[in-house]
Amino acid sequence: MTLRTNKLRKAFGGVVALDGVDVEFRPGKVNALIGPNGSGKTTFFNCVTGMIKPDTGQILYGGKDLTGRAPHVVARAGVGRTFQLCRVFPRMTAVENVLAAVRPGGLLHGLRGAHRRTETERAHRWLTRLGIEHLADAEARTLSWGQQKLLELAGVLMAEPRTILLDEPAGGVNPALLDRIGALVRELNAEGRTFVIVEHNMDLVMSISDHIVVFDRGRPIAAGPPALIRADERVLGAYLGV
Amino acid sequence: MPNASDGLRTSDRWLPLGGAGLLVVAILVFPSLAPNPYILSTGVIVLNWAVLATSWNFVGGFTGYLSLGHGALAGLGGYATGLLVAKADLPSFVALVVAALLVAALAIPIGFAALRVRGASFVIVSIALVLILLLVFQSWSSLTGGSRGLVVPRPFPGMLRPEHHRVFFFLFGGLLLLALLTWWLLDRSRFGMGLKAIREDEDKAESLGTPTFAYKLTVFVVSAAFTALAGGLYALWFGDLDPVFQFSVLTGSYIVLMALLGGVRNLFGPLLGALIVGIALEYFKVQFGNSPLHLVTTGLLLGLVVMVMPDGVIPSLVSVVRRLRGREQSSIRELSAADLAERRRRERAEARS
Repeated sequence: MTLRTNKLRKAFGGVVALDGVDVEFRPGKVNALIGPNGSGKTTFFNCVTGMIKPDTGQILYGGKDLTGRAPHVVARAGVGRTFQLCRVFPRMTAVENVLAAVRPGGLLHGLRGAHRRTETERAHRWLTRLGIEHLADAEARTLSWGQQKLLELAGVLMAEPRTILLDEPAGGVNPALLDRIGALVRELNAEGRTFVIVEHNMDLVMSISDHIVVFDRGRPIAAGPPALIRADERVLGAYLGV
Repeated sequence: MPNASDGLRTSDRWLPLGGAGLLVVAILVFPSLAPNPYILSTGVIVLNWAVLATSWNFVGGFTGYLSLGHGALAGLGGYATGLLVAKADLPSFVALVVAALLVAALAIPIGFAALRVRGASFVIVSIALVLILLLVFQSWSSLTGGSRGLVVPRPFPGMLRPEHHRVFFFLFGGLLLLALLTWWLLDRSRFGMGLKAIREDEDKAESLGTPTFAYKLTVFVVSAAFTALAGGLYALWFGDLDPVFQFSVLTGSYIVLMALLGGVRNLFGPLLGALIVGIALEYFKVQFGNSPLHLVTTGLLLGLVVMVMPDGVIPSLVSVVRRLRGREQSSIRELSAADLAERRRRERAEARS
């Protein structure tokens, strides 16, 4: 499933956050979206996931038009996301946080009692895989920042998206956890999931990405494999002003 | 692998059942213990508050949307029941059910408009609903009787006052149990899980695939139906409706206070709040007549709850009990590989034994 945008534009008053973005992310790969602060990366994520509506342009996912669709429609189409400032359901336990991603198939299905054993087991498996199973019954608000990041990802994975957008997964986490997140992304990618990652940690980006898109002033200025991006003068100019 | 419900303590599983059993006994016994018809009528009023607060809690407790407009939904239920009995000659309890269905239907467009906004904006929209309906019901006197009020024919014309109170006490008790049962069923359902996710973080819930607007609208309609039933039953019991009292912002404020005081995330929270505030209101009216003292006290109580027990009485008590029993989690430290190995070894040993 290819995620692609055509001439995507979004302005906030006089500030043009996205200026006619034509971009395509490779299915089955780890894609990275980098750029200086204010270059439109998070606005791009918000438009793609339906959190904000673009002014003009088109968002296509596997050929299906997702432009301006509600976030739950985008999620059900197979696109999951995490947030720049990690978001969990603070007063729900860790396992409830994960179970909240189970989609009831219609109202009658939704009115059934507690989650099926298979769903609960799957939620615990995700918690185990992310190393936070021992916190399954703890309220999410009591977890550390890093644990909340892992919990947020577990919730997204429970929804079984084919494409996962990670907004700064390395933000505020310790080096050990950083390595774990990098390895996890690679593992999950090997299982067939596509990733699009917004990240400022260049070591992480360069080590796990197959394909990198660089934004500057609301539009892509370069795209390609890490080695190519590292040597691109436009990228150096955007980041370092040289 | 453990089940989600395995995480629940046995006491948590049996508490709702125990609470419901206690409530049934209290409802059955109270009319016999009430020393006079006035106390019995106070019991009816308190149960009416309990149904209203529990009905409100479908929206407030599950989604976190604080509606001050539920007084208007109760008023609509009361007037719809009264008008169907008085003008359309429907049998009282048929009118009650039809009125609840009508209010539930009307709640769809109301909710469709109101639930598009969040936070303080939603509160303001809900207040506007009360004020608009007050004006409509006051000025449309050819239908509603306006400020002269609407007399609602009694369902049991030959019945003496004390017996009338007793019958309605049981009817309100039955309605309260039905509302509590519905809330409990929603609480343990997937739909309820989605609603609670909305309360915690609506954007995040939607990003995980929950159709938040449809969920909010559905639960708003359910809440409106129960609120209308309470309003309609009150109309049949009291027999006289006045727009000033039926469409009062104060009614909504009392409901919110009761739910907050008891605890909005708890099945019995609004009921407990209704018992405390409902009895206090009646006490102040008897002691101090029509002075505004009960309003001042209510305001102070609301302030106190928000500052001292923002989660309400029941969650605060539960928290204290858990602390005393040493069940609070002591650490969220990440487990090392050695910790995990030890834990698995212990679990295997327990499984073998």
